[in-house]
Amino acid sequence: MEKLKAMSPKIKCAVAGALAGALNGFFGAGGGMLLVPLLIRWVKMDERKAFATSVFIILPLCAVSAAVYLLKFGIDFMQALPYLTGGLIGGFIGGRCFKSIPTALLHRVFGLLLIYGGIRSLL
Amino acid sequence: MRFIISVLAGLITGVISAWGIGGGSLLVVYLTAFTGVAQQTAQGINLMYFLPTSLSALWSHIKNKLVETKLALYAAAAGVLTAVTTSFLASGIDTSLMKKIFGVFIIIIGLSEVFRKREKIA
Repeated sequence: MEKLKAMSPKIKCAVAGALAGALNGFFGAGGGMLLVPLLIRWVKMDERKAFATSVFIILPLCAVSAAVYLLKFGIDFMQALPYLTGGLIGGFIGGRCFKSIPTALLHRVFGLLLIYGGIRSLL
Repeated sequence: MRFIISVLAGLITGVISAWGIGGGSLLVVYLTAFTGVAQQTAQGINLMYFLPTSLSALWSHIKNKLVETKLALYAAAAGVLTAVTTSFLASGIDTSLMKKIFGVFIIIIGLSEVFRKREKIA
């Protein structure tokens, strides 16, 4: 454990990035949910910076994974287009009002939605 | 109408994605549960969706000096390698099995989101 704590921030980031990339590639989502707590608790990054930096890190990971999924599954771009459009607008709004969000409540609501979605996926 | 609902779904999850909370996993659930898209196709759409979403979010984040660029490059370089590997792995798994594995994954994340002690954001 002491050795883990003593690693340089660069190495810690590389390890955290590798773990997030593995998760994000396999599930096509979720890399940030692993990356954010690692950046905060292990790399000791300022919390708000950790959220923003994780978006920056996940972007290239999604790009390479998307390329593999496109290659393997031939995803229809027109099918994806409305989500890309909504995401572009939502990302902009989210970025703008990032400084004033009630995160604690948001996380709980988000968690409940995920549990509900997970149960639906299992049934 | 269908198109508008899809744009709205992308918009709402896009806001959450910008906050680094994990809107993507919600979008995957929405796609498989409500639009009948196959699991890996949903994952692929989500990966594509994150490109414009994160770019527009980063526009503010970088302007607000919230991105630790140097450290991020180490994380991204390592992550790209593992991401390619596991993406190929996921493409070899049966769709219905993948959906179940994904279900277990998001239930675990959901539970940790609900019960974890929150780090306070100053």
